[in-house]
Amino acid sequence: MRISKLESIIRGILIFLAVLFFMFPIFWLLTTAFKFGRDAFAIPPKWIFFDFTLKNFQDIWANTKTPRYLLNSIIVSAGATTLSLLLGVPAGYAIARSKSPLINTSSYFFLLLLMIPPIAMLIPFYLVMRDLHLLGSYAALITLDTIFDAAFVVWMMRSYFQDVPQEMEEAALVDGASPLQAFIKIALPLSVPGVVASALYCIIFSWNDFLFALMLTSPKTKTIPLGIMASFSSVEISWGKMAAMSLIAIIPALIIALFLNRYFVQGLTMGSAKG
Amino acid sequence: MKRNNYLLSILIIAALLVTLLAACGAPAAPTAETPKEEAPAAQPTEKPAEAPKEAEKPFAGAELTLASMTDQYVTAFQYLIPKFEEETGIKITLDELGYVDLYSKLTADFVAHTGNYDLMTVDIVWSGEYAQNKYTLPLDDFMARDKEQLALDDIMPVAWTLGEWEGKHWAYPLAGYANVLNYRKDVFAEAGMEPPKTQEELLEYAQKLTKPDEDFYGIALLGAKGPAVAQDYMVFVQQHGSSILDENGNVAINTPKNVEVLEFFGELFKYAPPGATDYWWDQRETAFRSGKVAMMEGWSIARAGYENPEISSVVGKVDIALAPVAEGMEPKYGFGGWGIGINADSKNAEAAWEFIKWLSSPDIQKEWIRHDGAPIRRSTLEDPELNKEYPWFPVLLESFENGDGDYRPRIPQYSIIQDALGTTVNAYLVGEMSAQEALDQAQAQVEEALK
Amino acid sequence: MFRITANRMRTKSRQSIFFIEKHYLLLLAPLLIFVAVIALYPLFFSFYISFFKYRLTDPNQTRTFLGLANYVNAFHDKVVLTAIRNTLVFVAGTVGIELMLGLGLALLFAGEGRGMRTLRSWLIIPMALPSLVVGLVWKSLYNVDFGVIPYYLKQLGVEMGRGPLGEIKLAMPAVILIDIWQWTPLVMIIFLAGLKSLPHDPYEAARVDGASRWQSFWHITLPLLKPTILIVLLLRTMQGFKVFDIIYATTGGGPGTATTVLNYHIYTVGMVFFKMGYAAALANILLVIVAILAILYIIVLERQQL
Repeated sequence: MRISKLESIIRGILIFLAVLFFMFPIFWLLTTAFKFGRDAFAIPPKWIFFDFTLKNFQDIWANTKTPRYLLNSIIVSAGATTLSLLLGVPAGYAIARSKSPLINTSSYFFLLLLMIPPIAMLIPFYLVMRDLHLLGSYAALITLDTIFDAAFVVWMMRSYFQDVPQEMEEAALVDGASPLQAFIKIALPLSVPGVVASALYCIIFSWNDFLFALMLTSPKTKTIPLGIMASFSSVEISWGKMAAMSLIAIIPALIIALFLNRYFVQGLTMGSAKG
Repeated sequence: MKRNNYLLSILIIAALLVTLLAACGAPAAPTAETPKEEAPAAQPTEKPAEAPKEAEKPFAGAELTLASMTDQYVTAFQYLIPKFEEETGIKITLDELGYVDLYSKLTADFVAHTGNYDLMTVDIVWSGEYAQNKYTLPLDDFMARDKEQLALDDIMPVAWTLGEWEGKHWAYPLAGYANVLNYRKDVFAEAGMEPPKTQEELLEYAQKLTKPDEDFYGIALLGAKGPAVAQDYMVFVQQHGSSILDENGNVAINTPKNVEVLEFFGELFKYAPPGATDYWWDQRETAFRSGKVAMMEGWSIARAGYENPEISSVVGKVDIALAPVAEGMEPKYGFGGWGIGINADSKNAEAAWEFIKWLSSPDIQKEWIRHDGAPIRRSTLEDPELNKEYPWFPVLLESFENGDGDYRPRIPQYSIIQDALGTTVNAYLVGEMSAQEALDQAQAQVEEALK
Repeated sequence: MFRITANRMRTKSRQSIFFIEKHYLLLLAPLLIFVAVIALYPLFFSFYISFFKYRLTDPNQTRTFLGLANYVNAFHDKVVLTAIRNTLVFVAGTVGIELMLGLGLALLFAGEGRGMRTLRSWLIIPMALPSLVVGLVWKSLYNVDFGVIPYYLKQLGVEMGRGPLGEIKLAMPAVILIDIWQWTPLVMIIFLAGLKSLPHDPYEAARVDGASRWQSFWHITLPLLKPTILIVLLLRTMQGFKVFDIIYATTGGGPGTATTVLNYHIYTVGMVFFKMGYAAALANILLVIVAILAILYIIVLERQQL
């Protein structure tokens, strides 16, 4: 299967276009973060400029509670992701492997969770958290996020495990290992790309979330999206500040994504070695 | 190879677990602040509270939470709150929220009686709603008790609409906004024109000054669906001498006069930037600050910002004038702004009241203004020092003296009106329906919701 | 294949099926318990209240029993019907395009080299941003008076009118584009995971048989990817029905009702008007629509898999 030169060129162009499309708003964000408020909307747009300022970053670091919001977002995302993986990966495996009709039907229950408009759950959940005196704590937000994240993880891992051939596990079962051992020693290592993809999704879902965070957090546990909304006041334009804050908001998610991405590839090459 | 990767995954999970445990271990923010002092819930104490002396800090250690709209005065809060803590020992946590979020979050707090916020900025139009549902504490007893400290006569009469309802005060005046006409004095000078004094002139001048080829327009307006367009439309209703309510205080949106005003409003949009039908407040500001339009009606609190070279491209080119009213109408100018209220569920009402007293005192008001706050007192507006720094204060003073704080009915059902108009007026502006249809639909929506 | 395995296990394994199943239950239990404890009350409350008229802000907290009235009214409500239509358009547009684009990107960026890895990590950035921020950024980019996109389009001679977010006909496509920008990378990642777990043998066999790459792709890759495609379809569809932040940040459902999707309307009814009963009914209607679609997907794709 030779790749013709023409195909290489087309491939290159497509890659270039894709990167351009996905990156130009980021570039806009980058440049805006370094601009004064009056330049943010200069016409014609200033893509390359020398009149830049670090004031936006200084402002948000000093005057707003950005470091705090960042920390809170990290805590909530990490918590929800961990919990979702711990609960969801075994569940996904169980549903994929089990022949019991009961267990298979329960998978539809999780599907139901994913289909419900979150707003329907929000107010009753809010009242429950109020009665438990957990409003404004990390636990409230982590819990609600986990419900939806874990449901996703279950479905993701179920489909993934269905794709993973069962021969090795069956061999182990025949040899007397318990399904638990088969899961931990054999299936889990093979599932890494799926787990990674699920983890990425969970992190990002919790990181992105706005509505739940709005209703369930207190000023001490506010997450970044709320902070960004606040920096973006209705009367004063703070595009520079918002851009700066957004950039800072991406960094942890980026680090995690990069880290997982590298590991992702490692896991893949390991998978192919098994032949 | 397998084992290494396996190990790595365990490490990641362990790291995440540790973070999770840290999260659970970290103290959850208490839903109700526990004051160090037993503060009486709603009734003030018999003895008049004295201003805290140097050695006396009766509320030291109390912790309050203030929910504030992200308007310009947030900077003033940020500056003044540490000073307040120094003087009184009362610590205030400031939570800044956008308009829609503020409303949702506050309502959730009130309805669930969680008392998360002790103090909150209350939009003028929420007065009736907060009063009827007793979300905030009526402040009249506090005001009567501390009358001497408050210098109540100094507060502009129109400013009381920021929280007054049916004779009682459910929020205290915080920031008074006058609806004024901002205009580019350089553009007008060049065209040899004076700023318009009547609504008819406004339309005429907007048309004259619009040059679409040069990307320059006569006026900037709020057209975005929701509170933005609702507010702007109601400003014009007021400026044409009409009202959303009839003489009996019933909602009367689709009167012939109001339809006329809506069509006038639509006409003005012809001389506004093409995106104006989507303008939220900040975009309208951008239009003016980037020099794209000749005129813009808006809240007076934004005026100082035009002289800030970091955010404005029209430094030194702006002046403000009284908002034009229709020909022959008795001058009345739109008034808006924010009050500050105490949560009915707050356990720190006295400490909260201390803050309100301190903040509204004439001396602190000068600092309030200097850090982007808005005035409520006559003494502030007439202060010679401030007038030097803000030469447009006389316009504000006159606007306040003839101010109308009720042109947006502050009735408890205001949010329904706002939403009805917000949807239908926008629909009219984008051509989805005629002016009559739009207002008929709004009227129907409001009547249906009030049933 | 399962039958053979089961037989083998019954005869050779010392463990009974019951024993094995019990272990699977054990793996499933923690999640079930967690969800049951936390989510059941809100679920039932939401279902229950949809039969009542209940204003959250009512000082008396009165709940009037209405039977099915909320549901009946919903289907006569012009805004609700528009919202349903808008939602279906949005989901069809986003899921359809994201599926194809995501698969394409996965194939394009599947290489193992460092360059590819770097590019892939860049592409993840859009979904790392909070949806709200994505909305705000695109709102600025689309701004007809100050935004970058209309500026360049105007240079190219395209008439913008009130702009991508201000024109009734342009608003929905504009919003769909935002969603595509943000979430296609996620689809790409899922497909990458799926592609990498495909076995090599069928491809070897095909190559020996002289099949072209396109034939390999169409007859081997695609069928083998069915589970992954199902996951993508299912999850993006469900997410599409729940879209909120982008609409909130850009158009607020406008202009007019051009971008009012059902989930956004539920927010307006429930959190702006506080009509909890009606909002719950609308939410249940949305749920049913999604459920029907989900069931259809599963039937069509899983049946083919066997």
